[in-house]
Amino acid sequence: MGDIKFMKGNEAIAEAAVRAGCRFFAGYPITPQNEIPEYLSWRLPEVGGAYVQGESEIASINMVYGAAAMGARAMTSSSGPGISLKAEGISYLAAAMLPALIVNISRGGPGLGSIQPAQSDYLQATKALGHGGFHAMVFAPNSAQEAADLVYTAWDYAERDRNPVLLLMDGCLGNIMEEVQLPPMREMKDEDLPEWSLTRRNGRDYQGNITPIYTEPILEGINTMAGEMYKAWEEDDVKVEEFMLDDAEYVIVAYGIASRVAKEAVLRLRAEGHKIGLLRPITLFPFPKKQIRDLDYNRVKGIIDIEMTIPAQMREDIELQVKDRCPVYEYGRSGGCLLDDEGVYEAIGEILAGGENNG
Amino acid sequence: MKQSFVFSGSGGQGIMSAGITLAATAIEMGKHATYLPEYGPEQRGGSAKCTVVISEEPIVSPLPKYCDNLIVMNEQAYAKFAEDLKEGGVLLANSCRVKDAAIENARVISAPVDDLALELGSAKIANTVLMGILIGATGIVSREAFTDALEKKFRDKKPGVLEMNMAALDKGIEIGRKA
Repeated sequence: MGDIKFMKGNEAIAEAAVRAGCRFFAGYPITPQNEIPEYLSWRLPEVGGAYVQGESEIASINMVYGAAAMGARAMTSSSGPGISLKAEGISYLAAAMLPALIVNISRGGPGLGSIQPAQSDYLQATKALGHGGFHAMVFAPNSAQEAADLVYTAWDYAERDRNPVLLLMDGCLGNIMEEVQLPPMREMKDEDLPEWSLTRRNGRDYQGNITPIYTEPILEGINTMAGEMYKAWEEDDVKVEEFMLDDAEYVIVAYGIASRVAKEAVLRLRAEGHKIGLLRPITLFPFPKKQIRDLDYNRVKGIIDIEMTIPAQMREDIELQVKDRCPVYEYGRSGGCLLDDEGVYEAIGEILAGGENNG
Repeated sequence: MKQSFVFSGSGGQGIMSAGITLAATAIEMGKHATYLPEYGPEQRGGSAKCTVVISEEPIVSPLPKYCDNLIVMNEQAYAKFAEDLKEGGVLLANSCRVKDAAIENARVISAPVDDLALELGSAKIANTVLMGILIGATGIVSREAFTDALEKKFRDKKPGVLEMNMAALDKGIEIGRKA
């Protein structure tokens, strides 16, 4: 067990990445994620890694492609506008079946939006991180600690699947400082390099090609394999926190920072006698479909989607599982205006008081 | 018990530094704490605000709407955040820049923080005077734990900086205890 450190969420991500074996970062500055590249700019050289501030987002993501092809644990980080610029490269990573970690510390949108925090990139993260109909696994931590823990395992998934992984966290959690217990340093050895990688280290032979270009029947086969992989994620890799759901008549669904404000409201409303609970997706893709589909709708009177973005973006994914068996409500703040305890508590109170008429 | 603090002023007044040091000190004392900064794109002169939550229990939400303690370093911060103070809360105002701080049902402490800092040697230690007053008035962290934090923070700075901050802290604590 390591020491407890008082760190920013962004710094926790950066240090956990180093300890997970990440040895290459390329990126371009953007608020509110700048502590990640700033930290890695001095930390990676300390462990023999390489840090590059690229001339652009597009250059950076393609450097990650190159490093990943050589078998390095590689990553980039940005915020919404920068992730949009990286979309092409992320799609190419998926096409070439390359593992990498992409971090999005999200802010208000669309367009330039706001440098202040928001959960405005759910749809981009889960539906279309780039062109061509691929998915990445999307992790959505709700604390600096959980961010560190998820980053630490991110390459295990990425290398297992030969597919990029996205960590999606809003700027509030990126900039918050709280206690973090860091995972131990992993020593990556040359023999840990993936078999398919192009490296010639340690006298390895030429391994073949990494390519994002395929003939039609092969591309169809690759698409089919990807589809099967996404189905397997749903079976094996969904992560979810279920809090006070056993007798809940109202279920809040919230992720990231919104889930912490929502949990505070659940505790307060429970103390007042309300039967309410929280279902928190930790993986946004694969989405916890089964957990929402299998709620007891003879008991559950309503689902409340709370997000720090307007309109709520997760709502359709929830509704697909609820299948009209109870009303779905939403509450949010947006544009860089933050959710707060009082606002969420009052909004839920109104929904509880209005019951099913308050759709 | 959960206690929330909002520190506000303008960039360069040491608002963020005060918040971080308070939260880090609380953690050193075995408590739990979160620190959340909010600021504009400016490095100096823009609005600066941070929220610190301290509790014996792990902190669920770091986003309270209302705070138990509001610390304002200038008039704009006072005008913007006065309504966010809980009834019965503590308002600590820098009287050099906030004229006539007054909130009903609050414990109002006004002190000429900027002037005191200058008298003690530097405008830069205004935030340490401020923290001293807060510690003296509320006892949220111990003097010993906070001086440990100051030592860590300033031990590599040029001679005299740590001593000046210690003097600022003690002056603040003296004022806070009487307030």
